[in-house]
This record gives sequence, C-alpha cells and structure tokens, in this order.
Amino acid sequence: MRPILLQGHERSLTQIKFNQEGDLLFSCSKDHIINVWFSHNGERLGTYNGHNGTVWTIDVDTQSRFLVSGSADNEMRLWSVQTGKCLFVWEFPTAVKRVSFSDDDEQVVCITEQRMGHQGAIRIFNISRDNDGTQQSLEPESMFHPVGSKATVCAFPYMPDMILTGHESGKVALFDANTGEEVLSNERAHMDVVSDLQLSADRSYFITSSKDKTARIHDTKTLTVLKTFQTETPLNSAVLAPNMPYVVLGGGQEAMSVTTTSLRQGKFEARFWHRIFEEEVGRVKGHFGPLNTIAMHPAGTAYASGGEDGFVRVHHFDESYFKARPYGEVEILD
Amino acid sequence: MAAAIQKTSWADDVEDLDQSKGEDYVDDNGIRTTVEYTVNEEGKKLKITRKIKRTLQKSLVEHAVAERKTWAKFGLEKGKKPGPDGATTTVGETVFLKLTPGNKSAELEPSEQQALKATLSKAGAGKVVCRICKGDHFTAKCPYKDSLAGLDNIETPPAGDEDGDAPTPAAAPAAGGPSKYVPPSMRNRGPGESMPRAGGSRDDLPTLRVTNISEDTQENDLRELFGSFGRVARVYVGRDRDTGVGKGFAFVSFEDRAVAQRAMEKMNGHGYDSLILNVQWSQPREQK
Repeated sequence: MRPILLQGHERSLTQIKFNQEGDLLFSCSKDHIINVWFSHNGERLGTYNGHNGTVWTIDVDTQSRFLVSGSADNEMRLWSVQTGKCLFVWEFPTAVKRVSFSDDDEQVVCITEQRMGHQGAIRIFNISRDNDGTQQSLEPESMFHPVGSKATVCAFPYMPDMILTGHESGKVALFDANTGEEVLSNERAHMDVVSDLQLSADRSYFITSSKDKTARIHDTKTLTVLKTFQTETPLNSAVLAPNMPYVVLGGGQEAMSVTTTSLRQGKFEARFWHRIFEEEVGRVKGHFGPLNTIAMHPAGTAYASGGEDGFVRVHHFDESYFKARPYGEVEILD
Repeated sequence: MAAAIQKTSWADDVEDLDQSKGEDYVDDNGIRTTVEYTVNEEGKKLKITRKIKRTLQKSLVEHAVAERKTWAKFGLEKGKKPGPDGATTTVGETVFLKLTPGNKSAELEPSEQQALKATLSKAGAGKVVCRICKGDHFTAKCPYKDSLAGLDNIETPPAGDEDGDAPTPAAAPAAGGPSKYVPPSMRNRGPGESMPRAGGSRDDLPTLRVTNISEDTQENDLRELFGSFGRVARVYVGRDRDTGVGKGFAFVSFEDRAVAQRAMEKMNGHGYDSLILNVQWSQPREQK
C-alpha cells in the first residue's frame, strides 16, 4: 500500500480522528491549528484557526456538523465542520486535555489539567444543536474532581450517565456523570500513564494504551481486562480494527530520548496485533519519530497515524490485508 | 539559474531554447509522457521524463459524503482549487504489511557486521564473477580463457520467448574432476558436440504456445488451468512493457512431453474466459 503523507502541521501531532463515514480526517497538533482532510485522496478541505496554544484533543459528532477541540490556551471550542467557523468558546482555568462527544451528539465531556493550584476536573456540557450552534450554555451540566490520580483520557460508555476515564496512575474507572462518584475502578489496569482510550463501535469494550508498554482490551461494564498486548516500547495510541481481528498499536520511546537511540531501536512502527491470540502479526514502517496517535476508518478500510515528526500518514489497505488469515479460518464475530 | 552555465558558443543558446520546451503527448495506451528540461544547482542540464497513466476509479458513497465533497474550502485553504495540493499532500513510498503469525519482537536487529556485508553484496562489491565461466575469479585469470572465450556469443536465444527474459544463470563450476570443465550452459554448444543437455534447462522443456487468451490472464491462472494435466515448469505471459496489460499469448512449459501433448490436445479449442484458446507447440526462434 502507498501511504498518503499529510504535511499540514509544523509540530508533532496530538490527535487524529475520522468522522462517522470515514471520508473526513481531522488532525490537531502542537502548532495551534486543526486540519481537516479528505481521507480518500489526502486533499485538505480546510483549517480551523483560532486556538492560541497546543491543541491537545479533538472530536467530531456523528453527523459531521460540529467539531469540538481542547487546547493548552485553556479553551474548549466548538466549530462548524463545514465552514471552519468557531461557534462557541468555553474558558477554563487550566488546559483542556481531552474532549469526547456522546454517541447521541447531545453532550461533550472534557478533562482539564490539574495545575497552578487548580484541581483536575471533568465537565460535561450539553450541546444545543438548534439553529447554527452559537447558542451554548457556559455552565456545565455537571462537574466533578476525581480524587487521587488525575484523569488523562475519557469517553462516554454505552451506559447512560456514566463517564469512562483513564488515569495517570494506570487506573481505569467509571464515574457517575451526575454525582461524580466513582462507581467502579480497576486500579491495576496499567502500571503507568494511560495514554489513549478508544471504544469499539458498540462501546461495549474498549482498548487502552499505556506508557507501561502494554495495550489492553477491557470490558466496559465490568472493567475487567480481556486481552493484553505486551510490547517493548511505551505506547501512545491503540485502536481496534473494525471488521478484522486486529488491533493497531503505536508508540516509540519518549521524544526526549529519541536522539540518543537508533531509528531501528526506536520502533517507530505501527504494530498490528491479533486481537484474540495476543500476538504481533505485522508492522508498518514510515514515521521518523514516535507515533502519537492512530485512528482507524470506521469501515476498517484504512488507518491513519500521526507522529512526533509532524506527519500524518493515511494508509488504505490492500486486498491482501482483507484476505490474510494468519491463523487460518477463524470465525470472529465483531 | 540558467545564468550559472558557461556559454561557450552562440549555438548553445539556440539549443537551450529548443529544449526548454519539452514534450507532452499521450500514446495509444493512454499513457501521458511529459519531458521537461531543467538546469540543476550545479549547472547541469537535466531531462525529466514522467510517464503517467490515469485510471478512473468509481465508488458509491453515501449522500452525506458526496455532499461534503462539494464543500468550499476554508481557513488556510480558502479559495484554493479542488484536488490535493502538492504542498500539503504527497504520496509516500510503498510500504508492506504482511500479516503472519508469531511475534515480531523476537526478530533481532542485524549486527553491524552483517549489515555491512549486506550493503556490500547489494552494491556488487566484494563479489568477483568471471565473465567466461562464472567462477569467482577475475576474467583475466580464468583457466578456460582460451578454450571458452567467445562461446557466449553463439548462445541461442531461449525458445518460445518473445520478450526474452534473462537466461538462467549458469551453475557454478563444480570443483575437481579430471577432465576439462565445461559449464553446463556451454555443454552442447561446442562445434560437433551433441551431449544431452541437463534436464532442468528450460530450452528443452516441452513448451506450448497458448494464444487468444484474455488480457487480464495471469501466470497463476494458467498454472492452475494447465496444472491439472501434470507438473508445469514455467509459465510466461506476454505483456505490454508499459502498461502491463497482457498481449494475448503465453507460453507454458511442462516437465514431461507426454503431458504437454495431452494438454495441447485437450486445451486447443477449449473455452476460457469467454475466448477459445489456441494451443500449439512452441516453435524455437529462428537461429541467427
């Protein structure tokens, strides 16, 4: 397969996201700009300009109408996907590290950093979809401060009024969205920072990656670990491949130690692991630095990776990917 | 940049003007060839030939997706024309994803020495091959220099091979042996010599010429088709050099003449891919 290289950023990528149909790819980086691309040919549709700091996180709703972004300039912004206009700005005392839409597009959850005497907070906002989207409430629907280790990633599980979080200590937890009470937690899910959390299509299970060099699949309801993928480098991102029994992991050693190790040792490769057998089945080279974020086309026909090197690489799978049966004919129901 | 070149005579000026235009044409296969002339930083003239083939791919998409394709560009892209911009979008080198069982983490990094050896052998250095007997010594030091030199020239072209892929490399000379060594590829080429050839040589394999096959027939298709009669040694499909589209003929070599005979009888006139195959014995090419 020939990757499409997207050079829309001057600094390292922080998150990339496909929309529901997979025709648009959103990317954000430390250079303050959010880009949107057509995934089939790599054409840039436009940019969302306005943030004054590293854009840490983005998410798009299922209708590809609204885009929400969180940045180090202490703002969360709502954008019109079509026009690139900023519709609304929420301001916080600290940086926004993670945003995520609910599956009905009605709510957004965000994590703000614990810094400068402020506690880390998780806020849930109702998004008004009436009119042009510029009328939003400044006040969150609910807000709580998780005690103990600070949250790094979050998402809406399939259960109502719940928030799924990953923490700096390696903990994975479920919070009650209204009271902020910790309903369930798995303290030993990982041994180090949880760097990414991506849900399956039906949100019944999810994959997390961590700096402890492992990625794990968890059951959403019970938070039990279903599968573990043990690699040899710290991981920054992990994603489940739709319709295929694989997961894709990306990582590499810390940016600060890159110059002291060889490219080969750095393992700047996207790694394909078999979801069931927990064995590595393939690797894709390309990036010159650690992979910071990986996203998968919802139909499973392509994947994209964003690296510390500032590139996004979009890979459309060849026929051989869909035909390959490395472990023979094994029926796997998604 | 053109000023960087030293003009030696007025004639060069004219030449420059002529060549700077380049060429641009589309051939019968729909391949567009563009030729450009540029001068690089060192003042050297470069000719850049690009061959581009366009294939139209159609796909059915959802209404929402189709509508999004018509959206006007915004932000930094505002006002730009449709289509990918080379400044932000490029195509990378082909990467391979081969899905195989077993952990890749077990694969160790090749040691420095091995890596060095690999690069050396890739560059062709450190490997000496005699042009006469293909042994690992210099041609000038070849013990068969007097007896074998020049025999190469009378080598017959491989039978039944219109596009002529490279002849099979001769086997390395066997060590020892009391009589004068003659490489296998040379064995019955000497004047008046009629030694039976080694069975593996494909020139001797019973080969069928299959014509009237469809354009997209692949080697494997034919191997499958003719494999039912017996062992197929080699399949060659004639292709257009530029487009890779089949030219409608192929050669199939069998290991056994009887099998080939049977295959010919059965398959001649057989319908395949909505075309009727024509299968004949392949005629060796005329000797020069």
